[in-house]
Amino acid sequence: MKTIPTIVMGTGIQRIKRILTGFFYLFLSVQSAQASVAPAAFPSRSFPADTITDYYEVETIRMPKGLTAETDGLAIMPDGRIVAGFHRGEIMLYNPKTKTWKLFAEGIHDPLGILAISNSEILVMQRPELTRIKDTNGDGVADEYLTVTDDFGLSGNYHEFAFGPIKDKKGNLYIALNCASNGAGIFPEVRGKLDTLGRPGRMYSAVPYRGWIMKLTPDGKLHPYASGFRSPNSIGFDANGNMYAADNQGDWLGTSKLYHVEEGKHYGHPASLLWKDGFPHVTPSKLPVKMLDSIRTVESVAFPHSRIADSPTQPVLDNTGGKFGPFAGKMLVGEMNHPYLVRLMLETVDGQIQGACAPFLVGSGLHKGNNRLAFASDGSLWIGQTDHGWAGDRGIQHVRWKGKVPLDLADMKLTPTGFALTFTQPLSADQVKQLTNFQFKRYYYEYHEAYGSKQFDVQPVAVTNAVLSPDGRTVTLKLAELKAGYIYELELGNLRSTTQQHLMNHLVCYTLNRLIKDRKM
Amino acid sequence: MKNRLAVGIIVVLFGLNLPAFAQDTTLTVRAIEGLKYDVPRFVVRPGTRVNLTLDNYDDMAHNLVVTLPNSRLRVVNTSLTLGDQAVKLNYVPRTPDVVAHTVVVEPGKSDKISFLLTQEGIYAYVCTLPGHGFVMYGAIYVTKKPASVPTLDKDPNVAANRKDDAAGHAGHQPDHPYVLTYPAIYRTFMPDSGPASIAVGLTPRQAYCWDAGACRLRYAWTGGFIDQTDHWDGNGKKPTHVIGDVYFRDQGGFPIRFGTADRLPEVHFKGYKLINRYPEFRYTVNGIEVREMIKPLPTGRGLIRQFTLGSVAGPVYFRCKSGDGVKYRPSVGKMQDGMVRLPVGTRTFTITMTAE
Repeated sequence: MKTIPTIVMGTGIQRIKRILTGFFYLFLSVQSAQASVAPAAFPSRSFPADTITDYYEVETIRMPKGLTAETDGLAIMPDGRIVAGFHRGEIMLYNPKTKTWKLFAEGIHDPLGILAISNSEILVMQRPELTRIKDTNGDGVADEYLTVTDDFGLSGNYHEFAFGPIKDKKGNLYIALNCASNGAGIFPEVRGKLDTLGRPGRMYSAVPYRGWIMKLTPDGKLHPYASGFRSPNSIGFDANGNMYAADNQGDWLGTSKLYHVEEGKHYGHPASLLWKDGFPHVTPSKLPVKMLDSIRTVESVAFPHSRIADSPTQPVLDNTGGKFGPFAGKMLVGEMNHPYLVRLMLETVDGQIQGACAPFLVGSGLHKGNNRLAFASDGSLWIGQTDHGWAGDRGIQHVRWKGKVPLDLADMKLTPTGFALTFTQPLSADQVKQLTNFQFKRYYYEYHEAYGSKQFDVQPVAVTNAVLSPDGRTVTLKLAELKAGYIYELELGNLRSTTQQHLMNHLVCYTLNRLIKDRKM
Repeated sequence: MKNRLAVGIIVVLFGLNLPAFAQDTTLTVRAIEGLKYDVPRFVVRPGTRVNLTLDNYDDMAHNLVVTLPNSRLRVVNTSLTLGDQAVKLNYVPRTPDVVAHTVVVEPGKSDKISFLLTQEGIYAYVCTLPGHGFVMYGAIYVTKKPASVPTLDKDPNVAANRKDDAAGHAGHQPDHPYVLTYPAIYRTFMPDSGPASIAVGLTPRQAYCWDAGACRLRYAWTGGFIDQTDHWDGNGKKPTHVIGDVYFRDQGGFPIRFGTADRLPEVHFKGYKLINRYPEFRYTVNGIEVREMIKPLPTGRGLIRQFTLGSVAGPVYFRCKSGDGVKYRPSVGKMQDGMVRLPVGTRTFTITMTAE
């Protein structure tokens, strides 16, 4: 905010400086030292200092007095009311028109996922069960709490969170079950079969299906769907019905990740393998890393730790048809430890989904702890925030697009020789010619049992050519080298649009699992 | 919790009973759950060399950065701008504000640092990992007058989440944005029960614990309801506490038997419906639907459990063996050897349990 007055003052002072002489020199030199910062940062004289707040507006929702607003779950009812679940078990309804709160249900154990069925009925994923909560007598307060499924183990370990549910087009529901943590033990009594072979390890799975994503078919049966998850908070679908799960950096996860989840596949955290049909009855984490590496499906997107995300949360599709700005049809992921969201740019390469991630809404006034995301029918985004003893914030924020299109990277696609970057606005050609405006490096994170990973084999990658498309929106970059199995981190320089807007975000990381196969081969 | 506070107090007391001249001080600071250091602050004389070990008891990585007086927030904010250098620098900016720092300490690991504090002032120690620095910090008082240090709850240099601990939990914040109405229900981690339990407060002074995994009443108590402060704190590691005296604790396992008295049936929890705020539990026993509603005795300690059964072919037994703290009185049927045999065709019955 301060940059605008500084520029105005600077040019003003410099004009005065030309008129005035020695008498004021001492005073002015102090002033101009301060003002001289502005021209360096904004070489274009007439360039407006646009910021993200010119394009997006963040409203912090006033929470009820006395509520500990650790927002576990959040969804939108058909009538537009926000239904939010909180750590102390309250499920509350917020009417955005009247800005009032009302209690709907009580006593839920960590309602980490909510799916609105109607204006009087919701599905809630709480620790012990997936529960159908309904107001049956029309007094606005729930009176029926029926079990949809509890057919999974519960050891009493605090880290056995449960996420979801999400519903596919066929009416199946999916839930995700967190592993337990060796930060605590288990209860003397557990629900489900206890297998002590599942106890070793940082994050463990001593009762059935911890570390799995489960599918609930309309007949009420819960089926193991995919394994290998550590802390899958949470799951979501893209526009084509592909399912994604975010998972958190830790043991076996060198950095946080987003998986494209498909039935029967295993995604790398070994604890869950104990419950895989036909798998050897051993402590899975004690198997050779090479073997474990060979049976896993790698992530679609790696979120470089501390650069992009430390603790990614719910993937959500921007299904607003453009009401939320220029990124419609793409996905967003929440992030706990940074005051922003993460934007995804996915594509299918060689039959597999991979792609890029970039920070979004940096500097917008968004808080940390962005745990749950839901788009309303007016195209605005509701965000539930929590900390839950970790880094984060509490409360609910509401983000609206103000109608103007910022300059930002809209898409990043792999080419046989580099990347094609498509922007939301046509770029000014001058900056595109300067190859130093495209700084690439590449690295990878190791798959191993230790917590997290450093970046391995960090190398700068030279851009040898940049070509701007006739419409000015796409820059095709040729790289000196493209290698599968690496994250390509791109730092964009001070690109400008022909509309004299400046780039909102400079960092983007592309997870290059597969190269484009030469069609002639 | 008590142990942690004890460590804090010992360190503070040690600081207050300073020797006449400065010397080396050795201490261990633990990073604990809930973005906290277990030691909220400590006091040393000017000229002290501090040998500090950061021991990470939490389930995420932390560091410990000692900063000059009045510079903690500056260091924290600068640490957020380190970009791709952050990991390499252990999230510590290279500024003169930093007196000393550990590396990033992974869960279960530790790191030792040693630093000399010569000038008087209120220094800070803070974790500079992203998001941590605004809540996870403590104070080092370097002073010749330890008596001038404010009490912990009034100390502006101590993290808010440590002052809460010092002041105790009760009475500061309301539990909810409303006053709890009884009967009240919480799904929570109850002690001495399965992990999928339900605490029901019938009145502010009468309560029971029902296990939704095993579909049965586990225990009942009078004198209060539950205290969830510890369970609600941080990541929820600790169970909820019972307030009051437990007068009934089930010893016999699942009470309903179909066909034969000695075979345990298969049960599934189907949820509950609220009737005047009382939960009526629904579950199936060998596929037969059962409803159970529990109300307090009008006077005295005890419960009235009303059961409704689906259609059953053959005899139904209800186990009510003595020795678990109550006397059983069934509304129908005959008691024999700790079992009530219900008349064939019984669809509803009550079991009255009175504390012995």
